[in-house]
Amino acid sequence: MKMLKRALLACAMTATAFGPAAIAATPKDELVIAITMTTMRGLDPHEINQLEAAEVVANLYDRLIALPPDNITDPQPSLAESWTISEDGKTFTFKIQQGVTFHSGNPVTAHDVEWSLHRLVKLGLAPSTDLRQWGFSAKNVDELIRAEDDHTLVLQTPEVWNPNLILYSLASYSTSIVDATFLAGKEKDGDWARNYLQTADAGSGPYSLVTWRSNQLLIADAFKDYWKGMPAMKRVYMGHVPESSAQRLQIDAGDVDVATRLSSTDLSGLERDGKVTVQKVPGFGFYYLALNQKDEILSNPKVREAFRYLIDYDGLANSVMKYYGTKQQTIIPAGLPGASDEMPYKLDVDKAKQLLAEAGYPDGFSKVYFAQPGTPESELGVSLQNSAAKAGIKLDLQIGDQIGKFRSRQFELFSSRTGERLPDPHAVLQSYATNANNADDAKLSGLVAWRSAWDVPKDIQDMVIAAAHETDAEKRDALYARINETYLRASPALVTSFQRTDPKAVRHEVKGYVGHPTWLTRWDTVTKSE
Amino acid sequence: MSIIQTSEPSAPRKSALPKAAGKVATSFVVILTTLLGLMMITFTVGRMVPADPVIAVIGDQADQATYDRVYKEMGLDRPIYVQFAGYLSDVVRLDFGQSIITKQPVSTDLARVFPATIELATLATIIGAGLGIPLGVIAAVRKGTWVDHVARVVGLLGYSTPIFWLGTIVILVFYAHLGAIPPGGRIYLYDEGIVQARTNFILIDAALGGHWDVFRSALHHIIAPAVILGYASMAYLSRMTRSFMLEQMRQEYILTARAKGLGQRPIVWRHAFRNIRVQLLTVIALAYCGLLDGTVLIETVFAWPGLGSYLTSALFFADMNAVLGSVLLIGIISIAINLLSDIVYRFIDPRTR
Repeated sequence: MKMLKRALLACAMTATAFGPAAIAATPKDELVIAITMTTMRGLDPHEINQLEAAEVVANLYDRLIALPPDNITDPQPSLAESWTISEDGKTFTFKIQQGVTFHSGNPVTAHDVEWSLHRLVKLGLAPSTDLRQWGFSAKNVDELIRAEDDHTLVLQTPEVWNPNLILYSLASYSTSIVDATFLAGKEKDGDWARNYLQTADAGSGPYSLVTWRSNQLLIADAFKDYWKGMPAMKRVYMGHVPESSAQRLQIDAGDVDVATRLSSTDLSGLERDGKVTVQKVPGFGFYYLALNQKDEILSNPKVREAFRYLIDYDGLANSVMKYYGTKQQTIIPAGLPGASDEMPYKLDVDKAKQLLAEAGYPDGFSKVYFAQPGTPESELGVSLQNSAAKAGIKLDLQIGDQIGKFRSRQFELFSSRTGERLPDPHAVLQSYATNANNADDAKLSGLVAWRSAWDVPKDIQDMVIAAAHETDAEKRDALYARINETYLRASPALVTSFQRTDPKAVRHEVKGYVGHPTWLTRWDTVTKSE
Repeated sequence: MSIIQTSEPSAPRKSALPKAAGKVATSFVVILTTLLGLMMITFTVGRMVPADPVIAVIGDQADQATYDRVYKEMGLDRPIYVQFAGYLSDVVRLDFGQSIITKQPVSTDLARVFPATIELATLATIIGAGLGIPLGVIAAVRKGTWVDHVARVVGLLGYSTPIFWLGTIVILVFYAHLGAIPPGGRIYLYDEGIVQARTNFILIDAALGGHWDVFRSALHHIIAPAVILGYASMAYLSRMTRSFMLEQMRQEYILTARAKGLGQRPIVWRHAFRNIRVQLLTVIALAYCGLLDGTVLIETVFAWPGLGSYLTSALFFADMNAVLGSVLLIGIISIAINLLSDIVYRFIDPRTR
């Protein structure tokens, strides 16, 4: 008994010796962001394809063009102080700012820009689509993108595209400018310093990387020679806090300034408590349901239409999707040319039953339904399963990472979400509304329309291509409005229900942290008040 | 449990050495076979999970050309047995490959995350054994009294309370409401970068560098998760100790000891407890092994960057190099702990020599 007492006493003494421990507030000149690092894969701007890593890259590097978060479709000078576009619309000439330096101290020149864009195209990884889709390839990029001198870069497109598409691409994180001179010493076996850049930076952005430990933390320090002036936040910490409830408690207690992966329940609670502002950052993508058109039942237009009546738009909008999306049934995201707020569908089980009966399935049918894991995708899956059951459709819901089967068309129903990097209707339409070759061996697996085996009506595809090439703004807007209308009436195999938003909880004393729709949230604009 | 065989005391002296060498060789082969089997199973199961490692690298929206290129770069176009053979030959050279998640060599990752888990598991085991064993002994000695009942309830709660839930409640009460513990992690974010990583054991590194503020910070952070894990261990160890002790207390030698007038304390501690040490050691070793690879829930709740969370995220994203490296490490550590237990048996129990 005495021994037990001694042990308990020792524990009590240890506990009291180390006393109260919580810290009440983050330092005034440091920013602490709670994120989930689970899906962060390195920090190479020409390789990453993920939201959190993009935010880091946005601050370690600069790009030729900047898109202000509050006016996302208005390209502004950044490393390029000005640019001109030739009359034929194919040649873009950029004047690079003088006096800007990389974190290494090397000056930023047009040769660095040339090397960076060549690197992006030649590495040919996922983000290279931002340039490759305009006709740049490993073979032609040397000729088409070239530095004329230290401060002039010429970029020629093989075809005429709407100039905004090119400028938007040059504002994407994927076209970040890296320090070519510095990286020359970091290359191994012709890897374009790919190995080095996974965990290091070679940028000219407002912050330089101090350390990144995967699934643990990232520290970045303000770059004192930054060309726009040294940022107010001298150090930024990103901590890996995978649990939503833990993020909520920490931001509530003041141990973190910004929390980025919170559930709707926790966001609601935080908003109620009144210490934070919840930003619903609009993203250019959708929550969608894909119906495989190789399936005889699902390829029936009336069945496709029936599914549009089986989504509980209003119920979800007020609960699970309150912070994760805004209701959207058309295909062009709000705020972009041609967008429409038309919402012809609502949950209507009777109407769905009627459509199923007209399609020849009055007693419904059974299908396997893959839903992606995580909030809110899994909840959306459960909701659809319940609604479908009421209409006689038995969905065998399997929640798990089945994206591979979706890419290879081995599914019946699949739901997930997308997010695009260009603030232009073309970015979404290219994936949802073009499918040049619906054959299995075409393997256009970058397009969700192809994955769904949906032979998109030719008139829609033609309009999408025409709009991308159209240089007249008014004509283009009109074209997108027509595409939107036609797509909605086409009973598409991709049923969109919500436009994606990415919620961020920001404490009231933090000013200037503004979530960016194309994932380029900056820290150099952040200040803290008392 | 025992892997090293004991030699026959009556064997002729001449043949003792080759015989011992033969047994060591046999043990070595058994260990290697175990590890090889472990890796084969992990490798095969890893290839059957639906997560696509290529998608984990390039993202969902990449086109087929990018997919094909990375697929080839990762060596997935080769037959599975060729991939496994290639992996084995690298492992023999102590090259565990690179993690597709962290982009670091797996050995570097493990050197970083495993000490975090060892620190947590060791402290939890010390707490669990330090409280659980005395509690079990007392419960056995005072069987049927209120002490025994309390011990049983405490044990039952420890068994049946989900650790994930308990962790969340502890954070809610002691962090959010009382401000008595930190929010999670190994140290405060502001303390990062101060201590030079020598061993990756933050308590040791902070002490070696004389950074006592960081040491205090590290202690603050480890207490709550260690106490929760320790509580679960304590529940298990107290039940097992009670059971072992009850069995001993029924033995005739205890009756003899009582008959010859020995007091309760020497009977309990010098006689009964001494005879359960081998069993207890086995149980503690097993509990410790379980903590080394089973702390994932508490690591998630407390954002503890240990092996459990590393292995879990590797599994989710089919990061096979990381999975195999972690499983191999866990296998080696489990075997090492078993061997160590065997060695300790020989010191505390003459019959095993």
